[in-house]
Amino acid sequence: MATVLANLHPEGTVYGEVGDSSVPLRFSESADEYRVLRERAAVLDLGGNRLIEITGPAAVDFAQRLLARDVEYLTSERCMMSLVLDESGQVVDQVLAFGRENGILLESSCGAGTRLLEHLEEHNDEGVVITDRSADLTVLALEGPYAWGVVGRLIDGELASLPFESVVETEWNGTEIIFARTGFTGEYGYQMIVPVEAAAELWCQALEHAGAAGQEALELAMLEVRQPIPRHEATAGASVIEIGANWLVDVTKDEFVGRDAVLAAFESGQGRRTVGFTGGDAIPEAGARVLAGGQDIGEVVHAVRSAGLGATLGLARVDAELAAAGLEFTVDGVEVTTLTSPYIVPKSWSIPII
Amino acid sequence: MTLDQLRAKAAERRQTCTQIKKMIVSRLDLEIEPDWITDDQPLFGRGLELDSLDVLELYVAIEAEFGVALYDSEMAVFGSVSRLADEVNPALRATP
Repeated sequence: MATVLANLHPEGTVYGEVGDSSVPLRFSESADEYRVLRERAAVLDLGGNRLIEITGPAAVDFAQRLLARDVEYLTSERCMMSLVLDESGQVVDQVLAFGRENGILLESSCGAGTRLLEHLEEHNDEGVVITDRSADLTVLALEGPYAWGVVGRLIDGELASLPFESVVETEWNGTEIIFARTGFTGEYGYQMIVPVEAAAELWCQALEHAGAAGQEALELAMLEVRQPIPRHEATAGASVIEIGANWLVDVTKDEFVGRDAVLAAFESGQGRRTVGFTGGDAIPEAGARVLAGGQDIGEVVHAVRSAGLGATLGLARVDAELAAAGLEFTVDGVEVTTLTSPYIVPKSWSIPII
Repeated sequence: MTLDQLRAKAAERRQTCTQIKKMIVSRLDLEIEPDWITDDQPLFGRGLELDSLDVLELYVAIEAEFGVALYDSEMAVFGSVSRLADEVNPALRATP
């Protein structure tokens, strides 16, 4: 399924199939788009993220049972990121949950909407109404150290300094939109959930102040700050603990689907752990063996060329006792060094909103 | 390095990280086990969701626990537990 903005993307845009969606991987050169995101402000077409509305009297109870974080008191002024797990503790998706007056709105990760929707429907014991809103709503995002300035020029400067994960309903160009302070890359980040009929105009106006960045640049920037990318990291059989996404699960919550399995994995102390690495020029495939002292200790999860590091950057899942920064391993015959996260320090951390 | 040497080096970092996690949980009264915090997870905004008041508390705690003053440091030192470990125990520091 193509994004609603696909007809506005420039000629030569390279698309890729990500789960159930066809999304722009890059509009021109990924390295240039990455630099825009890390140094100025990028606008992102997140049309591959599915919007699913849950309504009905039991909507919050249902969401509370299905999401791994506590959404019981998530008001319409807040959003939060959470994992959705199955009974075995495997990751179904990583969602952004928006509190709504009449329930909750979930934004899936890129291309994972169908899988999420099926999972929600299979678990609908409460009889809530689950509605795929992607035919009438889409998501645009801004990320970058100067994204706050774009918000000011595009909508309202007051919105730029909202606290993290705050949400407001506001009007843009005569259209009601949901505006949220979010962020996937460590830079200042904002999302706008807009009616599809207004998305084209907002996209074009945003491009007057920011550069377009595709999925490749976004995912590289996410990896650099260890923001989980489920489609790469939630490999078959890997527990939340092995992925290192504990922070997207609230174990103080009494009950949610997958809780027992996650706790069992945590308490066992068994399995592997994920650590970042860099080294060499070649990009190892997912599944490439990782050696330490000549012995097989795990495998590569995901690796890319990092424009920020000027080198290969990847994640490896290795024996827990060796999942630490500052070690030298071998991948495909090349020596690599494990890293401390974040692998790139976002510029936004030293730039105030003015 | 041999496998045993690598294990020993990893154990040294783990020890410092565990000490930091215990300190964070204790000082900020968090209702989680220290080990639930991963070495790499973000501490501010995303992740552990600490705020600027928590930072001030951690400055004091780190000086008391490790004898290291971070007051003039960039926020990047709070990028993760592992990054903080590099600051309080420079012997661990990994160069990318």
